[in-house]
Amino acid sequence: MRRAFSDTLVNVAEKNNKIIFLTGDLGFQVFDKFIEKFGARYVNTGVAEAQLVNAAVGLALEGWRPIIYSIAPFATARPYEQIRFGIAYHNLPVMIVGAGGGFTYAQAGVTHHAPDDLALMSALPNMTVVAPGGPDELEALMPQMLRLDGPSYLRVGKFGEPNVGSNSPIMLGKARTLIKGEKVAILTLGDIVSDIKPEIERLHAKGIKPGLFHYHTIKPLDTSSFSEIEAEYEQAIVLEECIPQGGLFQQLCCWKATTNAALQLKRCGAPDSFILGNPTREELRRRIGVDAHSLGCICKSIFGR
Amino acid sequence: MMNSIQTFEQNSKIIRATTIKMAYDSKESHLSSALSCVDILNILFGGCLKHNKKNPERDRFILSKGHACSALYATMAFYGIIPVEMLSRYSTTDSELPNHPCKFALPELEISSGSLGHGLGIASGIMYGLRLDNRDTPRSIVLMSDGECNEGSVWEAAMFAAAQKLNKLVAIVDNNGSQAVGRSDELMGFTSLEDKFKSFGWEAITVNGNSCLELLQALTKIPFSKDKPSAIIAKTISGAGVSFMENNQIWFYRQPNKENLDAAITELNVEPLQK
Repeated sequence: MRRAFSDTLVNVAEKNNKIIFLTGDLGFQVFDKFIEKFGARYVNTGVAEAQLVNAAVGLALEGWRPIIYSIAPFATARPYEQIRFGIAYHNLPVMIVGAGGGFTYAQAGVTHHAPDDLALMSALPNMTVVAPGGPDELEALMPQMLRLDGPSYLRVGKFGEPNVGSNSPIMLGKARTLIKGEKVAILTLGDIVSDIKPEIERLHAKGIKPGLFHYHTIKPLDTSSFSEIEAEYEQAIVLEECIPQGGLFQQLCCWKATTNAALQLKRCGAPDSFILGNPTREELRRRIGVDAHSLGCICKSIFGR
Repeated sequence: MMNSIQTFEQNSKIIRATTIKMAYDSKESHLSSALSCVDILNILFGGCLKHNKKNPERDRFILSKGHACSALYATMAFYGIIPVEMLSRYSTTDSELPNHPCKFALPELEISSGSLGHGLGIASGIMYGLRLDNRDTPRSIVLMSDGECNEGSVWEAAMFAAAQKLNKLVAIVDNNGSQAVGRSDELMGFTSLEDKFKSFGWEAITVNGNSCLELLQALTKIPFSKDKPSAIIAKTISGAGVSFMENNQIWFYRQPNKENLDAAITELNVEPLQK
């Protein structure tokens, strides 16, 4: 997904000469093509995330479309006040890119974990918050985000994730129906879908048929798709590499509290605690039940197999 | 035609009286901090700043010490940028003039302020963007407080501006020596702000920030260097212009009563702009 980001960045910058890219001293060799083509439209502010954001605010005030880039915790939590004051309050068209959101950097330790990036950004008025499921979604969504009049956050994973691969349209703010099913709807947020979709396909081959709905946009929340899920399914299970507060599950719960639907809503996701011990991302996901194996067990249990 | 120094000094008195009257009327102001920077605002808006918001080649002015906005509003009213009548709505509900500046309330502003440490970084982005557009006329002038220089983001911005050689960027530090609770010298280890900016790659000078003459001389010399940003450390007096408010920390918080207002107006020997 990181490569899809740097390639898309070059593409959008070719079409729009007001796009300017700022990094907080990260992305070694990732943006060489951009630098070669656009020179001074690449800015390294140094390891100075407050300045990364404030410089983007000033640029946006002068009509530029800044895209700012750092590792997710340093793009979100670290300069949160600058984002809140400069970008969100003034509703400026700055795109914040958090590379390695969620537990992408699981083994780098708590300092590099960002299970809170989506929740933090969702708490800000005016912000659109996106976690693509794979490179194909990133390529489709990033140009849509750059057409917004206000700010946005883009969670970018690592290198090498597979495409989501579906004919379902990729539209900002709209959940995607990836696999139709019965009884149980699986709702994925972000790149966890790349693990889950093949598992759902395996389950279907065995006659266990949960539906799969994918949320690449957490804010604005697509409540109309969820209303359809409420009408058609008995249970929904949210899988999210996100803290409980402010994640997809909590936002759907809040919405559901305003409806009369009987749908049962469950969650597999990151706990409200720091993850110590430097597990691999796969180990970590297994530990918190956000993986294909855990989901398979849950579905088999629900479907009585 | 630039005002004479005597005229500037007289104007400062009227702006001070107006600012104090706003505090009396609204019971909302950081008065000592507003009074310390009146002369700086007066010299800027009275001739050193191209401030017409409709002019794309204007200077970009940011009051980064947003809590001193009563002095900004009074100065803007004095120079006809906002109507004097607007001052009576200072710090009232839905006012154009809230007690921390809001761009949505007052579009004449480049940006809102109130949270410290943002102005310099934002101005550096503005200047980078203008330079990239090959527009070398506008400058960006940021009025900051010395307490604000406690913020790390100020020094991140200072480093960036020097590295990018943003020579049209000007920081004016209202060095009134006092902060919300303590003395800025004590909290910054009795070190020189001029030395700090210089060591960050800026050209910096220290002037008497309550002297219209020294401010005017400094501002007409910017940029101080062709490839460095410029800093003016303006040594000021907290509560400047009214003897019983000067260097008295309580006036960061206290609002004047009728007796205080009358005593201040008598000492300044001018009438405030508003009725």
